[in-house]
Amino acid sequence: MSAMPLLLAEPAAHALAWSVATIALYAGAKRIYRRWPRWWLMPLLVTPVLLGALLLGLHASYRDYIDGTGWLALLLGPATVAFALPIYEQRALIRRHWPVLLVGMIVGSFTAIATSWGLATLVGIDGAMRLSLLPRSISTPFALAVSGDIGGLPDLTAIFVIITGVAGAVLGDLILARLPIASAMARGALFGIGAHGAGTARASQIGETEGAVAGLVMVLVGLMNVLVATLAVRLL
Amino acid sequence: MRLSRSLSALLGKSRLLQAALVVGFWLAGETLVRVLGIPLPGGVIGLALMLVLLATHRLETGSVRRGAEWLLADMLLFFIPVALAVVDHRELLGFTGLKILFVILASTAAVMIATALAVDRCFRWRAAHVRDAIASR
Repeated sequence: MSAMPLLLAEPAAHALAWSVATIALYAGAKRIYRRWPRWWLMPLLVTPVLLGALLLGLHASYRDYIDGTGWLALLLGPATVAFALPIYEQRALIRRHWPVLLVGMIVGSFTAIATSWGLATLVGIDGAMRLSLLPRSISTPFALAVSGDIGGLPDLTAIFVIITGVAGAVLGDLILARLPIASAMARGALFGIGAHGAGTARASQIGETEGAVAGLVMVLVGLMNVLVATLAVRLL
Repeated sequence: MRLSRSLSALLGKSRLLQAALVVGFWLAGETLVRVLGIPLPGGVIGLALMLVLLATHRLETGSVRRGAEWLLADMLLFFIPVALAVVDHRELLGFTGLKILFVILASTAAVMIATALAVDRCFRWRAAHVRDAIASR
């Protein structure tokens, strides 16, 4: 046997290849989006689509892929911890506007859960698929934690979170063009609670207050959902 | 446990070391969750730990800012691998996928409209009734 196939058969080489492919495609997609900021060029959308095509083209299984790139998913843990910084830096905003933010978070979460459940039932989606839809409005690390807790499938939820992000960044602009929303606080909350990180990025382009509010409510609503889901699962 | 001066100076320079410190908080959170049997993700406990240290000024924002912002800016990269499970869920590529898309679009629009209206009403009510709530619009 020659050295080359032997090397490619090594699990370590596979892992390295998939990791490098993921990081390179992501970095490339980010650059392209910075140059041409169209919604259908969002790295959130382009990277998984290209990687998926690569996987199917090479007849590789998801198992092969995630075995090599699982370490990237593990970094969602430290990313969750990093949210402590924006919370701390926006403490003045929290102190001054906590009742308003809290109302927005409760209304937003309730609407997300109720409409996801109701609409899913309406079109005949049930079981783990319906449960996986419930936490899709909140930021990924929190959404995956909630999904596992309530009996959903975290990998399905990750897909739904992505679709929500892309849809939300587009829908947010359409809604703001028709709905008379005067306060920057409400515009920020719309993006942060409706479309997590992707929404926050869009809100930051609209204005500084919008971006700060969106980033803050995104984190707080994620934390709130994790706490409520944990509590609900223990008590019910 | 105020960080020593030399360590702070070192942390101030390196984004990688700062990110490693954040990873340290996460590991501490995971350990606490295991040992004490806390029913929350380790990341959430790590977040609480870091927030307490920041609020009590035992940890300066300068020692973690660049590392934390780096992790947050590229968070997208960390969950793309999980989302590729879509290749194992071929049912999503058919009619079920369209139904899911409808649910997500309609629900996201509903969440955005409800949230924006609630916050806007509440904000205006407070601005009119509570003196210290006057802020930038």
